[in-house]
Amino acid sequence: MNAFPDTDEAARRRTFREFVEPEIEVMLRVANGLVSNSADAEDLVQESLVRAYKGLHRFDGRHPRAWLLTIMRNTNVNLHRRQRPIMIEDDELLRASRPAFGSSRLPSAEDSFLDEELDAELHEAVTALDPKFRGVLVLVDVHDLSYAEAAAVLDIPVGTVMSRLSRARDRVRRRLGPTYLNRGRTS
Amino acid sequence: MSGTLRQMLTCHWSARRIQRYLDSDPAAPLAPGEVARLEGHLATCEKCTEVLAEHRTLRGAFALWSRRSPVDPDSVDRVRHFLDNLTETEGPRP
Repeated sequence: MNAFPDTDEAARRRTFREFVEPEIEVMLRVANGLVSNSADAEDLVQESLVRAYKGLHRFDGRHPRAWLLTIMRNTNVNLHRRQRPIMIEDDELLRASRPAFGSSRLPSAEDSFLDEELDAELHEAVTALDPKFRGVLVLVDVHDLSYAEAAAVLDIPVGTVMSRLSRARDRVRRRLGPTYLNRGRTS
Repeated sequence: MSGTLRQMLTCHWSARRIQRYLDSDPAAPLAPGEVARLEGHLATCEKCTEVLAEHRTLRGAFALWSRRSPVDPDSVDRVRHFLDNLTETEGPRP
């Protein structure tokens, strides 16, 4: 089903923009995990937008984020870019996510625990995961994608996302241990 | 069935649903009856409540990672500008 039947060209452009604009940040975030630097990530997003626009007549209007991420995954493959398991294969995301020296943010007590005590242990636990588990965990828990969106990015069934995610989280949780995880609780 | 065995089975049943309960993902929602049963179990089972709390701590930690690594706003602006050009000028008709 086409989400834009018999609408004029200006309306198609407006509707496309309304679908895409809210997804720019998440597209860039995921693209940064697919390619090796931020310039390539921007190129990948822009090329994906062109392809999405050309393929708009095939879009049914549902789940625009999953639609766009699927196009981006396929675009990345088609551009013959170096394929990497999603995110943190080279610890890039993990390093980038850790607090910068001199950060001026004033954290809550719980955030302080998460920042200062849990962070290094968590980093190690996530790094120790098999990449296929790590990829799902990063997409869902760090980038806040839904199961279906992560499935679209990784080209795997939703059920596989769920089972990998569950195993990844349980492995991280067990590695850190209850004593460690419960130390930062405020309630 | 002994109370202990029943408790073990309920813990096992609950452990398989705690993550879906926290995620509330539209692709795999728990049925209302499952939510009620799980919450009822969590109200009485210290061990499963601890597991739930540990998952919540992890979620908080991962959320911090995300907040600490925002996308470069200049990148967002450039892509938005690209989208402007794509949708405001004569481009390939979809």
